[in-house]
Amino acid sequence: MKKLLLILLFLLAPIMLFADEEMENKVREIAHQLRCPTCQALSVKESDAGLASNMKMKIRSMLEEGKSEQEILDFFIQRYGEWILRSPQKTGFNLVLWLGPGFLVLLSGLGVILVVRKKTAHALSGEITPLSAKEKAEIEKDMEGIE
Amino acid sequence: MNRNAIFGSIAAITLILIGILFYGLFFASNPQSIPSALIGTKASDFTITTFKGERIHLKELRGKPVVLNFWASWCVACRQEAHIIEAAHQEYTPKGAVFIGIAINDTREASLGFIRRYGKSYLLGPDDTLGNISLNYGVTAVPETFFIDRQGVIVHKVLGAVTGNDIQNFLSPRL
Repeated sequence: MKKLLLILLFLLAPIMLFADEEMENKVREIAHQLRCPTCQALSVKESDAGLASNMKMKIRSMLEEGKSEQEILDFFIQRYGEWILRSPQKTGFNLVLWLGPGFLVLLSGLGVILVVRKKTAHALSGEITPLSAKEKAEIEKDMEGIE
Repeated sequence: MNRNAIFGSIAAITLILIGILFYGLFFASNPQSIPSALIGTKASDFTITTFKGERIHLKELRGKPVVLNFWASWCVACRQEAHIIEAAHQEYTPKGAVFIGIAINDTREASLGFIRRYGKSYLLGPDDTLGNISLNYGVTAVPETFFIDRQGVIVHKVLGAVTGNDIQNFLSPRL
């Protein structure tokens, strides 16, 4: 019986270790998405502050309870506000933050294309823009000076 | 749309995005300047066993205004406010207020040393091993003080050392 138990333990040990490693990875993954409340520039994963350690333990305990990643993130958002997330959620006004830079690049590109096309078309057409009355007057004045 | 209008729009959008970026970098990243998500919500219930062995259940204190302070013996600002809270407790507890201090990320010995040194005599106990109480209150640092009204709703929070005025402003109209 003792031998059988030992064999079973020997066989199950790698599975248990793997499960624990998997759990630890999940904790790290979620902790990486959360901002350390005490230290401003670090994630909970990177921080060793007391509160960040408590948060990591809480994440682990919630995962053990069977809570999903979103449920855990919601738990912290509810208590700390959306500020606790390192990346804003892709909903509501936050979409401006996510889509804004791309939209800006697109708009700038469009602007550049429009200007370049206009200039190229103008240059290729060979059209000469007539001088304005003001320009004509300036030229005449300069010419008088030369003569 | 003419060229000026296109460039004007691009410039305006760029300025707005840069404005949002600077706001986020300099004004919206400090936890002290961000209002608590819990203001106006029911205070999370908890039970603690004080260092004197008394069992305190927040729900049972409903009907009384509660000053809930999170502190730690290693925190400098907690020393600054220790006498202020104790003096307020001496003044307002006989009138019906409740003062609770929860020590977080601290050892029992260090907490008891701090209590003795600053003569703290209100309800003082440790957070649980996971720090569940402080996490439920969204504590970002110590000291942090929550003001809970008679209905059990969090009406105000002070991050950093609490002042006598903070406590007076909360308790005077409620006692």
